[in-house]
Amino acid sequence: MLEIRNLHVTVEGREILQGIDLTIGPGEVHAIMGPNGSGKSTLANVIAGREGYTVTAGEVLFQGKNLLEMPPEVRACEGLFLAFQYPVEIPGVANLYFLKAAVNAVRKYRGEPPVDAMDFWDLIHERMELVKMDESMLKRSVNEGFSGGEKKRNEVFQMAVLQPYFAVLDETDSGLDIDALKVVADGVNALRNAERGFLVITHYQRLLDYIVPDVVHVLVNGRIARSGSKELALELEEQGYALYNEEPGRARRAAA
Amino acid sequence: MTATAPSIADPYRQRFAEFLANRREPDSLTGLRRAAFARFESLGLPTRRQEAWRSTDLGPLQAVAWNLPTTAPVEVGSLPDLGQAAHRLVFVNGRYAPALSQGPALPDGVTVTRLSQAAASQTTLVESSLDQAPGLDRHPFAALNAAFWEDGAFVHLPRGAVLETPIHLIFVATGHDALIHPRLLAVLEDGAQATVVVEYRGQGRYLNAPVAELTIGDGAVLHYHQIQDESPQAFHLGAIGLRQGRDSQAQAHLFADGGQVTRTDLTALLDGEGAHCALDGLTLGHDSQYGDFHVRVEHAYPHGTSEQLFKSVLDGKAQAMFDGMIHVRPHAQKSDARQLSRNLLLSRQAQAHSIPRLEILADDVKCGHGSSTGFLDPDAEFYLRARGIPASAARALLVYAFANDNLNRIGLTPLRERLGQVLADRLALLDGDAR
Ligand SMILES: Nc1ncnc2c1ncn2[C@@H]1O[C@H](COP(=O)(O)OP(=O)(O)OP(=O)(O)O)[C@@H](O)[C@H]1O
Ligand SMILES: [Mg+2]
Repeated sequence: MLEIRNLHVTVEGREILQGIDLTIGPGEVHAIMGPNGSGKSTLANVIAGREGYTVTAGEVLFQGKNLLEMPPEVRACEGLFLAFQYPVEIPGVANLYFLKAAVNAVRKYRGEPPVDAMDFWDLIHERMELVKMDESMLKRSVNEGFSGGEKKRNEVFQMAVLQPYFAVLDETDSGLDIDALKVVADGVNALRNAERGFLVITHYQRLLDYIVPDVVHVLVNGRIARSGSKELALELEEQGYALYNEEPGRARRAAA
Repeated sequence: MTATAPSIADPYRQRFAEFLANRREPDSLTGLRRAAFARFESLGLPTRRQEAWRSTDLGPLQAVAWNLPTTAPVEVGSLPDLGQAAHRLVFVNGRYAPALSQGPALPDGVTVTRLSQAAASQTTLVESSLDQAPGLDRHPFAALNAAFWEDGAFVHLPRGAVLETPIHLIFVATGHDALIHPRLLAVLEDGAQATVVVEYRGQGRYLNAPVAELTIGDGAVLHYHQIQDESPQAFHLGAIGLRQGRDSQAQAHLFADGGQVTRTDLTALLDGEGAHCALDGLTLGHDSQYGDFHVRVEHAYPHGTSEQLFKSVLDGKAQAMFDGMIHVRPHAQKSDARQLSRNLLLSRQAQAHSIPRLEILADDVKCGHGSSTGFLDPDAEFYLRARGIPASAARALLVYAFANDNLNRIGLTPLRERLGQVLADRLALLDGDAR
């Protein structure tokens, strides 16, 4: 459902992604691991349509459509979701209002009428339980004054409410204690089905104990240095990225 | 042709003579007018060399040959509705319009009437209260108003009276380069409570110089709302003077949407221990509008508390000025004064200026002020868009969020909703022509 071919991306003239190829089918969960600054968030942001990134070569198809020419809101309405590495605080916009606006924007795009108030309320409550979120968070401004963990939980909550076809989670587990981590994993696993795809960016193998990936990729210096099964994550946990931090040719040989 | 630019002060002298020639009123009142005009002449029209008027460019005013308002009947179009029962008084070009005014019966002892009528029937009360509010003596346009006012509203609540139904005063102008001087005189005796909504609106070009005098006694409660929705060509140079007694509470919510050059000088004098005032303003500016709030809060007694929250949302080449003074007199210990000014710029050409001023002459006080000016947060916009909300709606939502806490302070629900709609319409409009 997501096909990335030979994607090259520059930021302020510097090439950050240097030819990414990645295909994720329906129902699949892929994990991306990689050292700081290797380009993981860049990839996530380019998929979501954030400004400031220049695609110099390659293409990204989402359900067969050219993703790169869609504005971010259209991507979201097409069923793409990004859980931000750094969720943004929006003072003055209540979480609940924001969610309803988002749900209705997607519905409008699909030619559906605005959500029924009762149905919406039921959905919100069901999803709030899933991520063990307190009802008081609904009235608070989006992410304002939230702890790091609350912000991440709020991302998963939004994902659970919006029910995208494909979700990118950018370090949603970072800074979480084990209980919060399980909550995040439960949120993802509850949505897992034969149609939905996930791209999970993480630094920690332990998340993958809870969200078991079909494929693990190692992103180093803007390239996928290696792809493998979930055991690869364990290997990385033990050996680190030292093996890959040399020139890419050798890394690939080492992997072979 | 002379070398010096014509001053509008000279025509004012001529207009004043014309004006007095047609007055029929007690000599004592005419005496007050003459004294006010003399005060105006000694103050002179403001120039940018004066500190208090440095920021306000009155140049465009000088080019117009201003007249007294027409006495011919005029069409005023539809009037704003408060969306709830109200004691409504309407004034067109500064004159009372009985056909447009209405209201339920008033509680015993409460007066809500036209000022000209009160001046005739309650002369002593009116004359002794008139022109007494703080800040008016230094304000040239307030002096002109005191000389030229034809009518306005007089509100009087006796001790302990509570008026549940809001008072809705609508001042409409119809252009013709008229000089308009509406006046409100509100006196709430000790313990009285009232809500007053003042709306200024119009069409064509005119110069509106309104004055509101608000005097509230010990323990009194006043909620004052002012909605300035003047025509795009209009000038609006108003003054509000608020004097508060011991333990009284006043809220003033100012909303400025219209006009070409607009300025309101608001002076609040906490003239008794433990008085509290909350003053806020929201300016919506577009094209090349100039909107200005000059605020002075004077703590004269101990234990007073004051809050100022002034914001602007500016598009096009609009400019906003906020000049806010907190003055704490030497013996006004334990005063607590806050001031915050925030500006949101929607275009690169818009400009906002904030000048906080503190004169703290007591040593045991809490004082805080802050100001910020910025553009919409692109990260926040992206966050909303990444959840499916279109760019225009995302920006509108962010502007709304910025202005929302001002609107939320308005206790009258239908009015709050109406102003929210004004803001929403403004944003939709802005989006239509900007993108
Ligand atoms: N907006 C930007 N402006 C300038 N440089 C950027 C920007 N975004 C990313 N970069 C640079 O691109 C490189 C990759 O950053 P990216 O955020 O994609 O890394 P990451 O793999 O997500 O790292 P981390 O694990 O620390 O989150 C870094 O060197 C970063 O400094
Ligand atoms: Mg990152």
